[in-house]
Amino acid sequence: MLVSIIFLLLVVFQPMITFGTQRFPKPEFETGYTQPDTLVPSPRAEVLAVMDVAVLLIALSVISWIVIKKRSRKGVFWVSLFSLAYFGFYREGCVCSIGSIQNVTLAIFNTGYAIPLTVVAFFIIPLVFTLFFGRTFCAGICPFGAMQDLVAFAPQKLGSRLNAVLGLIPYFYLGLAILYAATGTDFIICRYDPFVGIFRFNASFGMFLFAGALLVSGVFLARPYCRFLCPYGVILNWFSRFSRKHITITPSECIQCRLCEDSCPYDAIDMPRIGKNPENKKDTLRKFVIICLLMPLMVIAGGFLGSRIHETLALVNSKVRLAVTISDPAKMKELPESFEIRAFKSSGKPAAQVYSEASVILKKFNTGGWILGGFLGLVFGMLIAGRLMTKYRTDYIPNKGTCFSCARCVDYCPIKS
Amino acid sequence: MNYSQPSVKTIRLLRNISIISAIFATLLCILIIVNYLQSKRADPLNSKTLITLNERLKANPQDDQLRKEIRELNLLARKAFFTNQWQVKTGGLLLFFNILVIILCLQAIDYMKKKIPVIPPDRIDDFWESRKFSRKWIAGIGIILVMAALTLAFLSHNDLENILEKEKLPARKPESQEVRRSEGQADKYSPGRNITSSPDNNQKDSLKEHGPDIQGEATVFSGTMKDFWPGFRGPGSVGVAYQKDIPVLWDGKSGKNIRWKTEIPLPGYNSPVIWKDRVFLSGANQNKREVYCFDLNSGKILWRTEAAKIPGSPAQPPKVNSETGFSAPSVTTDGVQVYAIFANGDIIAVDMDGRKAWDKNLGSPKNHYGHSSSLVIYRDKVIVQYDQTGNASVMALYGKTGEIAWKTLRNVRVSWTSPILVSTGNRMELILAADPYVASYDPDNGNELWKIDCISGEVGPSLAYADGVVYSVNEYSKLAAIKTGGTPEILWEDNEYLSDVPSPIATEKYLFLVTSYGVVVCYDAKTGSKYWIKEFGNTIYSSPVLAEGKIYIMNSKGTMYIFKADKTFSLIEEPQIGEGSFCTPAFFEGGIIIRGDKNLYCIGK
Repeated sequence: MLVSIIFLLLVVFQPMITFGTQRFPKPEFETGYTQPDTLVPSPRAEVLAVMDVAVLLIALSVISWIVIKKRSRKGVFWVSLFSLAYFGFYREGCVCSIGSIQNVTLAIFNTGYAIPLTVVAFFIIPLVFTLFFGRTFCAGICPFGAMQDLVAFAPQKLGSRLNAVLGLIPYFYLGLAILYAATGTDFIICRYDPFVGIFRFNASFGMFLFAGALLVSGVFLARPYCRFLCPYGVILNWFSRFSRKHITITPSECIQCRLCEDSCPYDAIDMPRIGKNPENKKDTLRKFVIICLLMPLMVIAGGFLGSRIHETLALVNSKVRLAVTISDPAKMKELPESFEIRAFKSSGKPAAQVYSEASVILKKFNTGGWILGGFLGLVFGMLIAGRLMTKYRTDYIPNKGTCFSCARCVDYCPIKS
Repeated sequence: MNYSQPSVKTIRLLRNISIISAIFATLLCILIIVNYLQSKRADPLNSKTLITLNERLKANPQDDQLRKEIRELNLLARKAFFTNQWQVKTGGLLLFFNILVIILCLQAIDYMKKKIPVIPPDRIDDFWESRKFSRKWIAGIGIILVMAALTLAFLSHNDLENILEKEKLPARKPESQEVRRSEGQADKYSPGRNITSSPDNNQKDSLKEHGPDIQGEATVFSGTMKDFWPGFRGPGSVGVAYQKDIPVLWDGKSGKNIRWKTEIPLPGYNSPVIWKDRVFLSGANQNKREVYCFDLNSGKILWRTEAAKIPGSPAQPPKVNSETGFSAPSVTTDGVQVYAIFANGDIIAVDMDGRKAWDKNLGSPKNHYGHSSSLVIYRDKVIVQYDQTGNASVMALYGKTGEIAWKTLRNVRVSWTSPILVSTGNRMELILAADPYVASYDPDNGNELWKIDCISGEVGPSLAYADGVVYSVNEYSKLAAIKTGGTPEILWEDNEYLSDVPSPIATEKYLFLVTSYGVVVCYDAKTGSKYWIKEFGNTIYSSPVLAEGKIYIMNSKGTMYIFKADKTFSLIEEPQIGEGSFCTPAFFEGGIIIRGDKNLYCIGK
């Protein structure tokens, strides 16, 4: 009890004891200017970082219990409101599991980067829970999902073709995010994060427009970011397919009442499939074998193409961009002097060093281009092959990969036990 | 599930609230967008009017009316910008809460209007067809992407790597040649190298042969710089004396080895300079600025010339710190004329007989402690480091006329350092230190040769140089050893002992760092490891000088610490003049000139 009270006091008063001492004496002004007190860097670090991980663990446990055992949409709704308030507005959207992909990647490819344990926890814990209970993280812990879920008032069905095409985007986003993080170029997920500006009340104009567009489209197209952009969703999708316990629409046997058929705003309910495939079985098998045989070729071709465009991809890197600019004096004269050029000029850094660094980065991008292209080639092959395989089923069941475990369908099932 | 009958009135009320909120939110959205576009247009940093006015002010820096107008306009532009930003932020917050209200209302309506699920009408099962088309769509997208990637690959040519490789080579070649030259060939201009290569024997011959031929093929000079003491910290301002038979013992009280002592009319923290049999220095107070010439043999003041009635000189004296004063910069001489600069920006050239050759005002420097950078002579030019708040520069004036030979703007903060002028093997370099970098310039035309970020804060100590390495230091910053050349490189750094006033001094093997709180540290010049640390205890503002293999450092009480320039500390003597001193001594054959608080002393047997 005493320990709990001390912990609570620490948590409450920690932010209040942030007024630090000046490292150097302040200069004296004769104008009567009053200097504001300086705050030392946020003292959140230790205690509150541990608390964040603890809150994540508790919230995930609660929502998994609500989804799997209680089967309560209302419960999911309230937990998602809490997550939106805590992980969104209070924690200001950082650290988030989506962005942690980049930290983990950078830590793997750059031994000099010390990844905070909190970030590792935010990356791994949702994956572990997904392996056991499906995408309960998406259901109500991710503040991005919670925010979009709140505005999904009139969701429309997109159709499987459009879903298939738009569903390709997260793979590209994931591949690019890993490439840019591995080469130390940028954390593009964070840079183009649409909602963090809302959580922090400091959205740039572009971010404001992007978030606005996502939320407005989210009224009709439920969770557009989660379905058609989220790179972490790709990994969760893979993990969820192997989940031990996943939410079911009905708690016992499906009575084929069809009440849940239109309940999912995310098109994540697989209908019963008992009819015969009108496609010729032999023909389908032949196509499947061909695709499987072509898969290595698709990986190599993708890799080759990726390597061919590695220079274009590398232009995102500021060092490469600087090297390209300063290597062309005519271009340098034409362009207005950017901050990068001014910084370079005042740094005293020789041009040869910039070229040398850019060359090293380009080589990394060449390798990265091969891997990215290969990965995308594999994704295309697998997606096509997956659409040649048929799983016959008799019940309405949530698709383990794409279902967000939001429990909306549960309310539509007349069977309650 | 609770399917209670919804209250029609409540639903209507919620719907009305959400509609009003939606209208308000739309209006706010429009206002935010308009505000944003306005703030983009009214960016005070890119205001065309302000840019034009600033350019006009640069052309005519004395126009106070214009300056005032710019300030007022700038203030207005900033106020407008920040008001705009406040509006956008407040609008954003209002919008957020509006949207929150809409969402809550719609969620409540949604909850209240919930109906019992109904069985959807029968649909045509198009699963197989859809799946077939999905495959085709994915394959189609794949083909489109392949085409796009091929086009991109074709357009980008993949020659960037080759371009960068090519760019790398020519830039590296001269650099490596440069390094080879400085390593393979004896650096005949490097002062530190030669002094320490033979610190104890025939030093003068060695120095004559290898010393810094600062004036090079000077045409207007009447002697060689290294024979005399032409400026602050001697030839090239690196603190190396080439004279011999320097005394190590004297006593101000008893008069032992004190040849003469003369009162200096006006105060000043500038250090004496010597040319042949004359000693020059300056003095100033709020109202008067003078250059003095003393006879080296007798101490008699031969002449004193006032820097007065200079066109453009400010009517009001600048505000200076008592530890800087009005004449902190040391004078310099080329043997034909003496040049002096004061805290108000007045610069004056006087011939060897005290006749004014020319004078001008460089604009009162914006320097909150007072201008203190000493002048340096290079061939027929006087070099002025004019680091001030907002408009820092380094310039060369023709010694004969005072006209500006070249001027280079510097993106640095105000500093109190003096330039050093050294030969780095194949070229002369003028090297300056100020927050945030150490920079080298071609003294012939002011072109920047290199610079490197390694210093910060209110930089006071000047640089040290020896054997192709420049040493920079400042308090709250760091001590850095910088290998000069096309690609400057920091060899080592340290931040345990730092100086805020005295400059360091370097030889080929050692670096001696003096702190203002009286600690002297000897470093290995190549590695930065410390050989010894000596705490003298008293304040030291004077910069050390290396002469005949010995270091001379004057403390603020007037005690000169003389010790061997070696890796083991060995104190030789601690003579006193009996009066406080903040200036760096000047050396001549067989003697030293020391400026005390009030008197000028000539030390010699």
